[in-house]
Amino acid sequence: MSAIIEIQDVGKKFGNHQAVAQLDLSIEQGELFGLVGPNGAGKTTTLRMLVTLLRPDRGEIRINGLSVLREARQVRKLIGYIPDVFGLYGNLTVAEYLDFFGACYGIVPDRRRRLIGELLELVSIAHRREDLVDTLSRGLQQRLALARVLMHDPQVLVLDEPASGLDPRARVEIRRLLAQIAERGKTIVISSHVLTDIAELCSRVAIMEQGNLVECGTLEQLSQHVTPLRRVRIAVMAGADVPEIKKVLTSIQGVSNVKMEESAADRARLTFELEFQGDDSELHQMLGALLERGLPVIHFGEVSRNLEDVFLHSTRGIVS
Amino acid sequence: MVNERTPLENTVGDRESWRRIWRKLDNPVIAKELRSWMRGPQAIAILTGYLMIISVIVCIVYEISMTSTPNPASDPSFRQSIGKAVFGTVVLLELLLAAFIGPALTSGAVSSERERQTFDLLRTTTLSASSLIVGKLGASLLYLMLLMLAAVPIESLAFLLGGVGLEEIVISSLMLFVCALFFCALGLFFSSIMRRTLGATVGAYVVIVLSAIFLALALALISMDPAFNATQYAANVHQQTLWLVVWMLISTNPILAAVFSEVMLIDSQSAISGAWGPTSISLNLPLPWIPMALLYVYLTILMVLASIYFVSRPDR
Repeated sequence: MSAIIEIQDVGKKFGNHQAVAQLDLSIEQGELFGLVGPNGAGKTTTLRMLVTLLRPDRGEIRINGLSVLREARQVRKLIGYIPDVFGLYGNLTVAEYLDFFGACYGIVPDRRRRLIGELLELVSIAHRREDLVDTLSRGLQQRLALARVLMHDPQVLVLDEPASGLDPRARVEIRRLLAQIAERGKTIVISSHVLTDIAELCSRVAIMEQGNLVECGTLEQLSQHVTPLRRVRIAVMAGADVPEIKKVLTSIQGVSNVKMEESAADRARLTFELEFQGDDSELHQMLGALLERGLPVIHFGEVSRNLEDVFLHSTRGIVS
Repeated sequence: MVNERTPLENTVGDRESWRRIWRKLDNPVIAKELRSWMRGPQAIAILTGYLMIISVIVCIVYEISMTSTPNPASDPSFRQSIGKAVFGTVVLLELLLAAFIGPALTSGAVSSERERQTFDLLRTTTLSASSLIVGKLGASLLYLMLLMLAAVPIESLAFLLGGVGLEEIVISSLMLFVCALFFCALGLFFSSIMRRTLGATVGAYVVIVLSAIFLALALALISMDPAFNATQYAANVHQQTLWLVVWMLISTNPILAAVFSEVMLIDSQSAISGAWGPTSISLNLPLPWIPMALLYVYLTILMVLASIYFVSRPDR
């Protein structure tokens, strides 16, 4: 795969505030790329520079080899953008809304009519075709926005907080839609605070803080980089001797940082979480050792690293 | 010959060329704007209110004119003067309409897109800034033209009574079109440089009011000059200059330009030029509507180009 988006040494300042420092990033064609970070990290600024709305102070951004500064019009043919907060033309119908934006992209009327039908089916709002946009719920408006950015069949979709303001069901539906769109070969760049969505959708993630790129890679790479140790969760029956259990666990080679989880919901068991350095056979030996010492183990399993852990490890929680 | 096109191919080919030309001229913003307006209550409310005001004022003018003579029915020249009065009233009201409603229609054209957060959606399409600006201007102009057309039945009273010549109809139509264009462009210009619609509206109306105040002050100052009203026969360069300046100032205001153009037209029976000033100087100058139209077209072009520039810039 070749890089379709190249961000080289890009910086942006607003007055005295450095919104984006020296940013270097490349995104491959067909990738689903996530951008996460605390508020004020520079995510929206980065995306706005990408979609030609903001002029970087320095550096170069290229989309499919085209400069966003010097070839903005050509770049706009390649991108579709949904900002985090966007308005709608409330007194147009759904079909008229898409027709207008299709016309803005220079699509001929016959093709627009066909595309509108197809896209409304794709985002499952064909039944609301003749309704005014104002009457749609937030979730449906988001789907309409997705249909809008697909009208001109762009190569790159840039979505800033696509799940913002949506209820859980609507979020899941949008996620499914995005996965469907990605299967068509589109490159999708998503900025979101909902780490579970990013972790589930994205093949690669970049973490920004205070205008700097802190981490970038696949979830696996980021997890390894942040903490090479494995996390293991062990549950024993309630009533067992807690200090004795802790003593047993800490005596096993490779085990560190043993913590007991307080769970008000489940008083029938005691749950411990620990960090372990070792391979699968050593993990199996650990289980054997626990059973040999007579511990009433009722659950033993590895906790997979999640993006939340990576995020909390990588960032200092400084909101700009 | 093998390469000769058949009549059918010629027809289809031409149709395809026309389609291509139409696509270039077809501005999606115009249709979208007009659809949005006509679906709201304000379009009908403005149209109704405007027609009611014009009707009432025209009726008052007609009544006053009729009651000022003992037997109007038997006096054709008097009927014609009523016709002129009705026509002049409608034209002046329409000029005022252009001056006050034009900016109101366009001062939210771009700033409201920013306020509604739809501006970024437009800017990331391939719709050019010039298409956006021309579309906004075109939609407002079309709506104003609709209002003016809606007043034609009232205006046609004047045609029934007589006293209105073809030159007056042509000149008034041109002036109305140019004024509508100018005042819409004024609102659009402020809308493109201000972030808020309120600021843009205030900016546009401040310009209109200040220019009227400045004009009134300037004319008052000039009229206080003793040379301005001197009646000696000998040509006086200072007096000529003053009257020339007055002519230029009057040509900047559409209502004054309309009134004085009518006066000169009646005097000289020419739609192009006439005698201006007292008999002691009697300058032969174009009717004020001509420099007014040229000035307003020039300023409109400048404002439209400036609007396109401000809208096309990415944020810094």
